[in-house]
Amino acid sequence: MSALEEHAENIEVVPVRHPGRIVAGVAMLVLFLMFLHTLISRIPDPQTGAMIWRFRWNIIGQYLFSSLIFHGLLLTIELTVAAMAAGIVLGVVIAVMRISHSRLLSAPAAGYTWFFRGTPVYVQILFWFAAGTLYPTLTLGVPFVHLTVFTFHLNHLTAVEAGIVALSLNEGAYMAEIARAGLISVDEGQMEAASSIGMKRVQTLRHVVLPQAMRVIIPPTGNEVISMLKTTSLVSTIGVYELAGVANNISAQNFENVALLETISIWYLAVTTVLSIGQFYLERHFAKGSSRATPETPWQRLRSDVRGIRSKWRLLPTGMTR
Amino acid sequence: MSEVMVQSIGLAKSFGSNEVLRNINMEVRRGEVTCLIGPSGSGKSTFLRCINHLEKHDRGELLVDGVMVGYDLRNGKLYERTSSEIAEARSNIGMVFQRFNLFPHLTALSNVTIGPVKVRGMSSSDAKERATELLRRVGLEEKAEAYPSQLSGGQQQRVAIARALAMDPKLMLFDEPTSALDPELVGEVLDVMKDLAKSGMTMIVVTHEMGFAREVADSVYFMDQGIIYESGDPQEVLVNPQSDRLKSFLSKVL
Repeated sequence: MSALEEHAENIEVVPVRHPGRIVAGVAMLVLFLMFLHTLISRIPDPQTGAMIWRFRWNIIGQYLFSSLIFHGLLLTIELTVAAMAAGIVLGVVIAVMRISHSRLLSAPAAGYTWFFRGTPVYVQILFWFAAGTLYPTLTLGVPFVHLTVFTFHLNHLTAVEAGIVALSLNEGAYMAEIARAGLISVDEGQMEAASSIGMKRVQTLRHVVLPQAMRVIIPPTGNEVISMLKTTSLVSTIGVYELAGVANNISAQNFENVALLETISIWYLAVTTVLSIGQFYLERHFAKGSSRATPETPWQRLRSDVRGIRSKWRLLPTGMTR
Repeated sequence: MSEVMVQSIGLAKSFGSNEVLRNINMEVRRGEVTCLIGPSGSGKSTFLRCINHLEKHDRGELLVDGVMVGYDLRNGKLYERTSSEIAEARSNIGMVFQRFNLFPHLTALSNVTIGPVKVRGMSSSDAKERATELLRRVGLEEKAEAYPSQLSGGQQQRVAIARALAMDPKLMLFDEPTSALDPELVGEVLDVMKDLAKSGMTMIVVTHEMGFAREVADSVYFMDQGIIYESGDPQEVLVNPQSDRLKSFLSKVL
């Protein structure tokens, strides 16, 4: 009879202790409380000597819901949505071109990515704002005969339009790489199976490859949306009054730079939070049929955490075992 | 309607300098079950994939139901077929893969309906009715709403067979359909295939299941290094091998 079997009835399992974790946890808690204190502390005003909020909460309160900031926020969201929508469409098209067997399609796609990823988005924004001097008008027509389908006046481009064009074209290059990663992540057997039931290339892409690629494409795309939200602040340099532009404008008048940066940071954080939640549920949707369990929603996780804690503290009804 | 379903004359295929198929001659009659056996790397799967043009053959002639695969002979010239002509031809040939290749984002039922709906333009209610009937035929009616990841290998392969049958194929190709399965799941897939053979389906099966070949096949071809060494009645070929290669192969697999 083994030593374990001898005590088989009433044996207690002692979990390993982690004293290091407790020390680190306490240290983190102290640092966090210290940070909280700075948030609510007051310091003397450098000019007047009067005690004021270190974080200028009063100024933030004054501007956070002001109509100026609100209009800026709206424009920021519009820029983000427009640039991402165009960027995603452009990216998927370029990714499909990139994996084409024809060099005439794949080479331009590679060139596009090379160019728009290789120059700063800041420079691209300034460029499109000034592009009218390079190509005053773009005309779609039949070459060598005077037949015009439409004309696009680059020299009449507003700052907002130039910003959207620049951000979209830049985003297209990054989205192309993300979409390509998604497309090549789908097993080749899937294409063969689709071919074997007579599906054409476009049908295969649409009904078989893309839905599976989405699982790979969505997390980095969520990242791109969040990144775009903040990159739109660069178009303030060409005179677009989105969130950062508005803040700049206000602080040029009242010299409360830091307070306004805090104000818009709060808004950027708020929108990012909403976007992250959206991304979470989108990922859950496209995880259908995945061999891994779909991630728990925060509410489900809270409930299972509570269950875990209850079982740890042995608050289970008698008769149940851990 | 041709009496011969598949005819291969002097078929050859290379991957770079590697000659995978050299001079394959084969004739499969309508309603017959043909098994291709041979060691791995012998070219069996490549030959099977040539039949529905997943691979392009380099030389020789390949006819399915009297129609040339991949090319069209007109005015003394061979015209390469367009991708939509090839897709149309493939829709009449069912294929079952070693690794199932079910669409993981679709339920078992949707895996079966997607072909008829998207390729044939069948209404989704008709397709569902037909798919349910096919799933019943492979014994998986109650798994219609399950995703592939929730099914065992054997169940997945039976759904894959139903998916192929949904296109009403005149010919079914099986590429080692039981090689990726746990031993206890092989039987359920072979049973479905036996039923299919009994119903008169023309089948070409690449397999290592010698018992299946002996019991079900009308003819067996033994392939090695891209050449057919022996062929004929399974009783003859499997019980009374002539070549040393087949003898040594059979001594390893039986």
